[in-house]
Amino acid sequence: MPALSSTMTEGKIVEWLKKPGDKVERGESVLVVESDKADMDVESFNEGYLAVVLMPAGGTAPVGETIGLIVENEAEIAAAAAQAPAAPAAAAPATPAPAPAAVAPAPVAAAVTPVRPAPVAAVIPAGAASSPAAAAGRIIASPRARKLATQLGVALEALRGSGPNGRIQAEDVEKAAGQPVSIPRIAEGSGPALAAANGNGASAAAAAPAGQAFGRAGEAVPFNTLQNAVNRNMLASLAVPCFRVGYTITTTKLDALYKQVKSKGVTMTALLAKAVAVTLARHPQVNAATSADGSAMAYPAAVNVAVAVAMEDGGLITPVLADADRTDIYSLARNWADLVSRARSKQLKPEEYSTGTFTLSNLGMFGVDRFDAILPPGTGAILAVAASRPTVVAGKDGSIRVANQMQVNLTCDHRTVYGAHAAAFLKDLALLIETNPDSLVL
Amino acid sequence: MPPRTSAILFEAAAPVPFALGWHWQRQLQARLLAEPGGPEALLMLQHEPCYTLGRGASNAHLGFDAAAPPLPLFRIDRGGEVTHHAPGQLVLYPVLDLQRHGADLHLYLRQLEGVVIDLLAEFGLVAERCAGFTGVWLEGRKLAAIGVGARRWISQHGLALNVNCSLEGFEAIVPCGLADRPVGRLSDWLPGITPQQLQAPLLAAFCRRFALELRPATIAETLPDWHQALDPDQPRQ
Repeated sequence: MPALSSTMTEGKIVEWLKKPGDKVERGESVLVVESDKADMDVESFNEGYLAVVLMPAGGTAPVGETIGLIVENEAEIAAAAAQAPAAPAAAAPATPAPAPAAVAPAPVAAAVTPVRPAPVAAVIPAGAASSPAAAAGRIIASPRARKLATQLGVALEALRGSGPNGRIQAEDVEKAAGQPVSIPRIAEGSGPALAAANGNGASAAAAAPAGQAFGRAGEAVPFNTLQNAVNRNMLASLAVPCFRVGYTITTTKLDALYKQVKSKGVTMTALLAKAVAVTLARHPQVNAATSADGSAMAYPAAVNVAVAVAMEDGGLITPVLADADRTDIYSLARNWADLVSRARSKQLKPEEYSTGTFTLSNLGMFGVDRFDAILPPGTGAILAVAASRPTVVAGKDGSIRVANQMQVNLTCDHRTVYGAHAAAFLKDLALLIETNPDSLVL
Repeated sequence: MPPRTSAILFEAAAPVPFALGWHWQRQLQARLLAEPGGPEALLMLQHEPCYTLGRGASNAHLGFDAAAPPLPLFRIDRGGEVTHHAPGQLVLYPVLDLQRHGADLHLYLRQLEGVVIDLLAEFGLVAERCAGFTGVWLEGRKLAAIGVGARRWISQHGLALNVNCSLEGFEAIVPCGLADRPVGRLSDWLPGITPQQLQAPLLAAFCRRFALELRPATIAETLPDWHQALDPDQPRQ
């Protein structure tokens, strides 16, 4: 069952346009799915024969469930039909693989691989020549595809690669995840930090709506696609040895600067992203990440700051300010406004939310005084930023003054970022914000 | 704001038989399927009286025998239950490539509702969505019905806003399968309002939501039998 919307959890099969045994051309409509008041013709990506219908018309299936099998040639129909009921839903790409004489005597057994029914495209092409990616016993996939597969919870074994020699490409993984857009990669989030700077955040807090809920009392509401994607990423972080380091930063100067540039469209999010990016450029260890296989420290070519944004209908997304250290603050602010508006209308391209090298999560606008964030997979660190508020500060000489201060909390993957790296980064970030914020707008 | 792309506007001046309007939509859909980068289109019209059923709709919501309907009855390729069209109801059929607009069917439905909500707000009316009941509601009455169909993300069908139509035709059915939720029309809130007065503001509201600007069809883009959409009282060239 394909995901026709990020908020679609299940779909009703209105009609099968093909009967088992019918020939299906590539791109031909095979069935009609209804969700809410929208119908969509679902097409086959491949030429073949509809072998089995696992969910008849009128039935409802959750997104990702296998609803039918398409085989490559007529001879395979019977085999697929015979196998199908035995391994019903989980049969995902239950490749009824009459082995392509070429390789190994195995594929039939391989067909039974207990593949988790990842949100796979509607009608699964199950065909002989279809799984060369797994043919030699090892999966041939691009590094980006592997990374995405981990992030999206897609089983690579189950995929058919569209690249040379059946290599699995990133787009194959995206297609299998049924996710044309918006996969977030991190856990904490909030809207853009428009009001973070001033005072104690009371006004912003007052403007916040009453607490959000996705269901009514007594209900259990299934996670939507986006929430499920976030869940997978959060769980992945449990395999990372994380630690956290906190720092209190005086923001009196930054707040004054923000007041000056606010009228030019510069937001606190843009200022914070810029400050973080400039500091990261001098602390490449904090911008680095442990490679997917855990064997190396990977140093990205750019400083791309992702910022978490909560979605109204649940889940969150992390639009990326690419090259933030080298982009001027006004362009950053414009880019950010554009990214947020397109994120909310779900029009971001994958590279616009999945290429962050460091993540910023800001709950300052709610007056939060401290929190910590969960590390997004594939990155080395995330910074949680709380509200800036007037605080009584004692100087070393015993003087007492009032200054705006905020707490930040860095979550790091200890394999790549050690305590000393984190501390040095935070010290420099604080120094920049406390003494020289004007450099951010130059 | 992203730059607006242009879409072709087809605006009918006379009520159109349902079958013809449907044929036009399929033509426009086929054009966009054949030419993936091609222009999107909007069809704005009123229909001659009829009933339509979504592909998965139940005949149980018809108050008559489907074999002998009081008005022409069509089972069509959209989602949703039965509805009624008649002159005085403004119908908008966007033929869009939804991949250019988020590739999300639910989002598209919410956006269509948003267009009508925006439009009514211009007239000082606060219309609303009702979770789980797609459409636009004003004081508990349903003013706009929404149902769409798509092929390879190319949309057809769309929204129908009751302006000053007779509501009599709705009595023979359970509109959208909702027995306890009455249908309304805008003229009960805005006496004297006509579909003609709403055409331009509705299109403007649509274009704002979908970042489109409208242009007329070129000669090559004309629809077959379009003369049937022209005002019979106006001299023709």
